[in-house]
Amino acid sequence: MPYSRELNFIHYAPTKVIYGVGISKDVAVELNALGCKRALLVTDRELSKNTDLPKKIREYLGNNCVGVFDEVIPDSGLHLVDKGAEFGRSLGADSIVSVGGGSAIDTAKGIAILLKEGGSISDYEGFQMLTRRQTPHIAIPTTCGTGSEVTYVAVIKDWDNHRKLLFGDYNIIPDVAILDPELIRTLPPRLVAATGMDALTHAIEAITSPQRQPISDALGLHAIRMIREYIAIATKDSDVTYRGMLLLASNIAGMAFSNAQVGLAHAIAHTIGAKYNIHHGLANSIVLPHVMQFNNEVVYEQQARIAEALGIKEDIPDKELGYKASEKVLEIAKSCDLPTRLRDVGIPKSELEECAEIALTDGAIVYNGRPISDPSEILEVLIKAY
Amino acid sequence: MPVPFPSEEWVAKYKEAINASADYKIAGKDWTYGVIALVCKAKPPILEKDIGIWLDLEKGVCRDARIVTPEEANTAPFCITGEYDRWKAVIKGELEPIKGMMQGKLKLKGNLPTIVRFVKAAQELVKATNSIDTKFLDE
Repeated sequence: MPYSRELNFIHYAPTKVIYGVGISKDVAVELNALGCKRALLVTDRELSKNTDLPKKIREYLGNNCVGVFDEVIPDSGLHLVDKGAEFGRSLGADSIVSVGGGSAIDTAKGIAILLKEGGSISDYEGFQMLTRRQTPHIAIPTTCGTGSEVTYVAVIKDWDNHRKLLFGDYNIIPDVAILDPELIRTLPPRLVAATGMDALTHAIEAITSPQRQPISDALGLHAIRMIREYIAIATKDSDVTYRGMLLLASNIAGMAFSNAQVGLAHAIAHTIGAKYNIHHGLANSIVLPHVMQFNNEVVYEQQARIAEALGIKEDIPDKELGYKASEKVLEIAKSCDLPTRLRDVGIPKSELEECAEIALTDGAIVYNGRPISDPSEILEVLIKAY
Repeated sequence: MPVPFPSEEWVAKYKEAINASADYKIAGKDWTYGVIALVCKAKPPILEKDIGIWLDLEKGVCRDARIVTPEEANTAPFCITGEYDRWKAVIKGELEPIKGMMQGKLKLKGNLPTIVRFVKAAQELVKATNSIDTKFLDE
């Protein structure tokens, strides 16, 4: 994949990543290594209700945990971040340990800002505004797709005004990511598949992004190899070896897209996720092959390398190889028993045009491999995915 | 005759350049989200204090452009802050502002997705700076 003479980039991935079956037991050691002793545990409401994972982490933290904030819901809200921070402040928390999916980790990033800077989270909407490291944060993902444990963005919803606010800052990247496959052993198969496809989308869109660069490409390509090898088996078999590899692939893809960004598949997934409450990873999985076919005309060289990482060994021109990559992605989704059409998840055909209009206004559009300026281009993709 | 950046004179020229841009008029026609302020950080000895630039943009037109204090600039719904050298790179067309925000070369206070929706307008605003015969204080 050639790079232009004008190539210039910043690659920033400061998170200490710790991996191992049962390694979450070390959370207190890691916390103390950060100089902290009073952690606020932030977790998902459902995770807390339906599993013993937050309870286990609390036990591992022992006296280092001053309280648990377990009110996080999918698409976490500004009000929850403010409430969590107030709770943490009242307990004298000096650090945060987040346990859960993207919403829990993003909420914790927001709380980290408020514990350091004060005020309300809505005061900090923007990019790269903070001038110092925020409250120490250890992230422990319990899905294999978000990558949020190594990214610099938090997405928090303003439920009153029905919009999502972006907080992007190098200073909110978690200090430590603890990847413990034991924690995703009980994740339902469909969620393993959907979050794994989310990670695959992160990796592919990072490689086809106009902001791609050699380091993020290397990360993305290896994440693709791992996902190709392990997603189907990890979906069907809860063995920690397979699920651990998927968890790691998600982390690696997270480092790739945090530096190179994502594109049209995410713009559509954000749109239909918000409008029809469709799981983010599943939405990505459905549209990704069609986005790749749409993009192939422009980014076929990158997609040909993606095809190779997906295990396709054919001596054919890059343009054809790039197209075959999209077919392989579809095949992977089918092998995980995921729905592959928008109609399968209840999206009305009559509303595709509106979806295309909304997707065009999503931030991820800017970083799509093939430039998009008109909703009709997105509609073309949506109709094919229908 | 080159005009120094940043200065009242430069800002006046910038307003003229924005309003003379047919492409901006089209790309920014749906912009109703208020003022975009820019803050250029001090770079002693050539620039002793932070300078704010207030751009009152509405529906493809720049209604007002003036120098303000950084404090006033920070009251705008969108405020983009950068070091002198970063702004110089933007004006010279060497730094694409949205990429700069993502990478921390420029700091944005405000809703990035709104800015991104108007990426073409943002590009035209940058192009308008390219058309000004600018004298950089360190050159």
